[in-house]
Amino acid sequence: MTGIARTASPETIGETSAIVAGFTGSIAYIAGGTDLIIALEQGFRPDMIVDISRMEALNFVEINFKHVRIGAATPVSALTKLNELHKGIAALSQAAEQFGSAQIRNRATLGGNIASAKPAGDLLPVLMCLDCHIEVLCRDGSTKKLALDEVVTDSGTTSLDNGDLITAINLPLQLGDNPISAFGKIGRRRELTIARLNLTVLADYQTETSLARDIRIVAGAIGPVPLRLKCVEQELRGRKVDQTFADDFLGALTGAVDAAIPGRYSQTYKRQAVMGLGLDVLQSLFGREFSLPACLRGMT
Amino acid sequence: MNFLKQDNLLITEPALKQEPIVLQINGVEYRDYTTATKTLSQFLRETAGLTGVKTGCNEGECGACTVLVDNKPVNSCLILAFQAEGRQIITIEGLLGADGTLSPLQQAFLDYGAVQCGYCTPGMILAAEGLLREIPNPDDREIRRALAGNICRCSGFLNIIKAVKSVASQTDTPVVA
Repeated sequence: MTGIARTASPETIGETSAIVAGFTGSIAYIAGGTDLIIALEQGFRPDMIVDISRMEALNFVEINFKHVRIGAATPVSALTKLNELHKGIAALSQAAEQFGSAQIRNRATLGGNIASAKPAGDLLPVLMCLDCHIEVLCRDGSTKKLALDEVVTDSGTTSLDNGDLITAINLPLQLGDNPISAFGKIGRRRELTIARLNLTVLADYQTETSLARDIRIVAGAIGPVPLRLKCVEQELRGRKVDQTFADDFLGALTGAVDAAIPGRYSQTYKRQAVMGLGLDVLQSLFGREFSLPACLRGMT
Repeated sequence: MNFLKQDNLLITEPALKQEPIVLQINGVEYRDYTTATKTLSQFLRETAGLTGVKTGCNEGECGACTVLVDNKPVNSCLILAFQAEGRQIITIEGLLGADGTLSPLQQAFLDYGAVQCGYCTPGMILAAEGLLREIPNPDDREIRRALAGNICRCSGFLNIIKAVKSVASQTDTPVVA
């Protein structure tokens, strides 16, 4: 049996680099610990645990007109009000708001959600939809910037090397002139629930003409990694947002679920549920009411 | 070789941390030579003897082990003890007044019959205490959300919410000019 030889609690990026550069064994970074400690309980034994929860350089939100940069160890509870700063990242706030419990939100971090790469991780589809770039500090001191799908490659699997540290997440917010976004999820209960299905939509919305000039849609908990629904996007891009738009959106979502999980036991449930979820997200996104498609009216 | 008896598991941990872990709990300093993977909940119960901290699921679902760390409610089963060094930790024992009087929330839980078997009570009170320290006069929705991470297996939630609400409404909220 191997025990843990070392712990470290660096306070700066420089200290972290110095600690990990000279260390040859395996490293696990811990911030909130809400996933890592469960892995430790199950027998995971890295050679060194590096606590990054004290590093102020990893706990920040920088925001300007077309750019948001968030420190990787920023707790989820600090993300719930970001929508007040920029409506393009409302989806991230909404996902943070529905994330775990108050206790979990006070500890869990954005970087940790990426590193854990859980299929039902609520922040991952949002980050993919908002086209994030993930800043990584490598063990040798070099840095790299990667898209979410370059980092999260499979269920519980990332492309990161041992000792790589996620330092920040960049959200460019460059989808047209008026990016707006919304997030919704369905779980078995309302609070502290693991998503059966979640959905993020980002649109460049021209208010005067009600045109969705551009749109990005990502679903989560429907495969090992978040799934961008390009076929749904194609159907809606450049269209006027009205009830026909909503009908086609919800119909296309069902088609996307059928394509993503054909024959899975949950397909029958999720192909219907995704329409209710889609309706919630549309209403949150555009701030007005839509009806369910004709085939579902009267069922609720 | 250090043997930790926890629940029904016998955990063996051969590698000890070189430096002692020093924690500030309820204003008192505790130190111990311990393993790096020891969780805060284990430290609180086994090292500090503060058995008001209950452990249920050990994975952040039940909230029984909730304590305040720098005034924020967290699951002490999901923090490693060494991560809490330098932080102010408050357990249910720390809510008592210097003369042993119960805190307003503790008293309200008794007054409203919000304690049944009692296992969830310390975590429930600390989750509520954390809420009231952040939002002195929360509404029903805020109370329910703040307690969503705490499970009462006796299902006595309504009286718990009433108890928290009674303390919330006692708090004088200054009118902002």
